[in-house]
Amino acid sequence: MVSRVSRLPFWFLATGLVSFAAFQLWSLADLASWLAAFAEDPRMPSGWSRAHLLVLGWATMIAMGAVYQLVPVVLQNRNLFSERLGYVQYAVFTAGFAGLAAGFLAADAILIGGFAVLAFAGILLFAFNIGATLIRANAWTNVTAGCAAAVFHLVLAGAAGMLMGLNFAFEWWGTFHDRLLGAHLWLGAAGWFGFLITSFSFKLFPMFHLSHGHPEALQRWVAGFLAAGVWTGVPSFLFNAPAWCHWIALTCAASAFVLYAVHLSQIVRFRHKQTPGAGIRWSRHLAIGQASVAALLVPLSAVFPDIVLSTRMAVVIGWLYLWGWVGGTILAYLSKIIPFLWWTSKYGSRAGREKVPTMAELIDDRKVNALLTAIFAGLFVLAAGFGWNSPLLQSLGDGLLAAVSLLYAGYVGAVFAK
Amino acid sequence: MVDKDTVLELLKQVYDPELGVNVVDLGLIYELDVEGGRVRIRMTLTTPGCPLHEAIVGGVRRVLERHPGIEDVDVRVVWEPRWTPERLTPAGREALGFF
Repeated sequence: MVSRVSRLPFWFLATGLVSFAAFQLWSLADLASWLAAFAEDPRMPSGWSRAHLLVLGWATMIAMGAVYQLVPVVLQNRNLFSERLGYVQYAVFTAGFAGLAAGFLAADAILIGGFAVLAFAGILLFAFNIGATLIRANAWTNVTAGCAAAVFHLVLAGAAGMLMGLNFAFEWWGTFHDRLLGAHLWLGAAGWFGFLITSFSFKLFPMFHLSHGHPEALQRWVAGFLAAGVWTGVPSFLFNAPAWCHWIALTCAASAFVLYAVHLSQIVRFRHKQTPGAGIRWSRHLAIGQASVAALLVPLSAVFPDIVLSTRMAVVIGWLYLWGWVGGTILAYLSKIIPFLWWTSKYGSRAGREKVPTMAELIDDRKVNALLTAIFAGLFVLAAGFGWNSPLLQSLGDGLLAAVSLLYAGYVGAVFAK
Repeated sequence: MVDKDTVLELLKQVYDPELGVNVVDLGLIYELDVEGGRVRIRMTLTTPGCPLHEAIVGGVRRVLERHPGIEDVDVRVVWEPRWTPERLTPAGREALGFF
């Protein structure tokens, strides 16, 4: 049984917030130039560097911290397999992603290859620690199985990334590099983040709504369609399959996201708490928006495959998925996860001994709502700027997005001082 | 020496910090036995795998242990029967905006 609050998740959450702030500051510093170039061709050193800072330094770092915090809880207060290994993993992964981002920026193939191996080593340590914890507990539910699936796909995404990093250094695979890139993106975006967000929501979303008695049958359909989508997509990318194979992968993934949004609505219908908090409400809005876009893309890509596969559309879709749904959901949940973690750490052992604040007193829900609304307004303007190739809209959207994101990170991070 | 009412009032000082409702009005206390200075409680939480398990159960234990009339506290967490919203008291329902 867990007898004290682990500080391990703090390191991941704090580092994730710092990476997030660094990304936004960097965006503010050279706003128009990088976005205009990114919209034309995202495959540039600065684009790779920023992408890895955001996806590994922020989203994956926060996600790892959330896994370290929630897996012992979901397993009813069992200890991690090894907390010490968790700290080693933190150091290895942090050095790996930071070096990788620097290597991309410097366009230094040896740095990219070396730090890609280190980042992958950090992922392997994480997978071993979480895998051993889950296997030892042997308590398989839709949540724990989904978490295991997410970590499994993270390992595969990391392996594909490491192979690409080595290819930068040694040029072993020639044109196969591009196919590997497709598999790397699909495994990471749909596999790692898709499984993690959906499965953790199966636990957290009802908990914050105090929902009881809701049907859970759709959870397995979500996981099944997601797995079908990932595992139709990966070989399609690796073997350069015809467009209809990619379309089937998209259709399966879109089905998973639509069912996920429907399931969240089921949970809301069975709620016994009127207000779950702004972050949780936003996570549902994002899921519905994401499902709508995915469902729209299915017929659109069947009729106009060239438009959907164009670079510009890929940037819009990728940005909306990674920054919009994945990043937005992480931001939204952070407004709950950080107060939870901090309250448990600082006030948990004082409860019953003295008067302690409630979590609502640690963070103002109205401010969370206002900031998240401004963030997603900025995201919408930026996506429109990409779509219409308007540098002005791109600058305005990203300026708003970056500035408000910094405020939000600071506001949520300030909970650690309460 | 304490009586049941005193113990219940003490327990009302322990809140689920996320829901903002105390453990009595949430209906988390299944059984309460008071014998002289000995208090035995059988309680649950709103969901198995609750992130606040240690804080809430520890809070129940601590709030009782600091009372001068209580010498021994035994708190047992059970998952059967599962907690349901029907266990909320009218005050708990009002605090949650239950409808």
